[in-house]
Amino acid sequence: MTARLIFTFSACAALLLAVLAGVAIGETQIEPGVVLQVLANKLWGAGHVLDPIDEGIVWNYRLTRALVAAACGAGLATCGVVLQSLLRNPLADPYLLGISAGASTGAVLVAVLGLGAGAISLSAGAFVGAISAFALVLLLARASGPTGASAQIILAGIAGSQLFNAITAFLITKSASSEQARGIMFWLLGNLSGVRWPSVWLAVPVTLAGLAVCLWHRRALDAFTFGADSAASLGIPVRRVQLLLIGCAALVTAVMVSIVGSIGFVGLVIPHAVRLLAGTGHGRLLPASALGGALFLIAADILSRTLIKGQVIPVGVVTALVGAPVFALILVGRRHTR
Amino acid sequence: MLLHRVVTLVASLTLPALAQAAQTQYPLTLDNCASPLTFQHAPKSAVSIGQAGTEMLYALGLGGKLVGTSLWFNDLPAQYKAQNSKVERLADNDPSFESVIGKRPELVTVQFEWMVGPQGMVGTREQFHELKVPTYLMPSDCEGKDNLTGADGTRMQPFRVDSVYKSISQLAEIFDVQPRGEQLNNQLKSSLEKSIASLKGKDLSRTSALFWFSSADMDIDPYVAGRKGIPDFMLNTLGVRNVVQSDEEWPTVGWETLAKANPTFLVIARMDRRRFPADDVEKKLEFLRTDPVTRNMDAVKNNRIIMLDAHAMQASLRMFDGLETLASAINSHDLPK
Repeated sequence: MTARLIFTFSACAALLLAVLAGVAIGETQIEPGVVLQVLANKLWGAGHVLDPIDEGIVWNYRLTRALVAAACGAGLATCGVVLQSLLRNPLADPYLLGISAGASTGAVLVAVLGLGAGAISLSAGAFVGAISAFALVLLLARASGPTGASAQIILAGIAGSQLFNAITAFLITKSASSEQARGIMFWLLGNLSGVRWPSVWLAVPVTLAGLAVCLWHRRALDAFTFGADSAASLGIPVRRVQLLLIGCAALVTAVMVSIVGSIGFVGLVIPHAVRLLAGTGHGRLLPASALGGALFLIAADILSRTLIKGQVIPVGVVTALVGAPVFALILVGRRHTR
Repeated sequence: MLLHRVVTLVASLTLPALAQAAQTQYPLTLDNCASPLTFQHAPKSAVSIGQAGTEMLYALGLGGKLVGTSLWFNDLPAQYKAQNSKVERLADNDPSFESVIGKRPELVTVQFEWMVGPQGMVGTREQFHELKVPTYLMPSDCEGKDNLTGADGTRMQPFRVDSVYKSISQLAEIFDVQPRGEQLNNQLKSSLEKSIASLKGKDLSRTSALFWFSSADMDIDPYVAGRKGIPDFMLNTLGVRNVVQSDEEWPTVGWETLAKANPTFLVIARMDRRRFPADDVEKKLEFLRTDPVTRNMDAVKNNRIIMLDAHAMQASLRMFDGLETLASAINSHDLPK
């Protein structure tokens, strides 16, 4: 019990520190004292007299960015854990189910073909695309074989992703100008610059709800680690739990993709890294991965804003730049521990 | 605007007096963006890709030669509408290669290398030249500019207004209407001088500006004018500082950086395109006035927001009207000391 308390306490402290760092560091220089005064003004009505632009940047741009980065990182890492366990595949990640491919097709339909004539945002298009792709993958998996076979879901996901990626590539080569292509690329590679408070109110509850659902099924997830058959022998309603958890992961991922684009590697690498530290029991693995994902994405976002002065690198590029070598290290490390 | 018509009229009246403007000797060979062009006679027909070329041909009185137009940004000025009504619009945006070739033009004028060039949306210049269709690329988009770096190209050297004069003289030479070309250039030069002169005596040392073209999504980092492109030239010409530091033609820069830079003026683009919500100038205004950060910018609070046609932010005849609009807007405001 005390171990859990210590974990909860240090998790909250680490998260708070990371968010503070995200608020204090940005594209431009704002004194740490001013940053704290802004927070005091907004949280306790301290009444410091400040430049309204500084105040707006800290409260409306940076804080929302940090919070959404945290929610997004936590959500993606949680989805990664769930999918890797359910499908018993170490390479499973939240985008396996065709979600990012579908999101890009949806975004391209809006931006290139002008679907909605400027009234529908890229985000809305991406969300619809993501959910459609996931539905197609699910139908394909169901039509292709016995339910519950993880290979079927993975193969259906690959087919769905390839199909939607091909549609995206076709649309872009056929009718996108360089500016459109850039707009979409910029957005698809993961971008937190359009984040404001409404995104926070969407991302944070969705992540928390997703995490809660997964934690509720932690014992079932433990059982799935040994395969669907052993889970069934333990009395777990395999089909129902699988559908519920995969649907939950898909929904969380689709919401995140529609807010910030498809940020890669968080959902793949964080679960592996955390497994090395926290073990494979889902009661610990899930919250620890959520925390790891949150911290990682806040840090990646800070880097993306500060690496090149006056220019923001897509956060997806940063996560992959950091994520790929880390993943390689984990693979090598695993060989040595075996 | 009226000036154009007067000039054309004057040009036709005073033609003999301008006899020193040479007649074109064919065959004519000229170097255009590292590609030699040879004309045995004045082209009998032309297709334009890009509104800049379209308007230049109209201003030179060559509307009768134009058999197809494409890549439009804004409505056409009234004085060209009569000429334009007889010309087919092949496409609002980029035309297909075959729709251009199908017109059997003896010249294709090209505003941007991303339309016809190494990575051209319509085709490469070689594709056209193989079919014996010469392409005239606007020098403003190739001189001192690397179109293979950065999404809209990167300028190695700042844009020079001479490249616009050059395209007019060369088009006039190709079509053997050199006196008209000279006349048009003189008029543009005096328009430029007038805009500069109208701000004479103003202390602009603390005046800055930002050009916002559009954004891929409403709240996302916007496309703004970089340091060496046409909007930057316009600001420099008038003595105003551009707050953006990038050398890319249209870089994306975060609102945090832009709000902190707090420019005196915001120039927002008006365009017919509706690809992104922010293409609409009203949506841009709404964002600026409601976003919790941008609504506190000096330019927004003091309503120093200037609307300008997107086409006036390009190397075009309309750029000179844009300069006039900017100068008079700057004149009508109290400036920071």
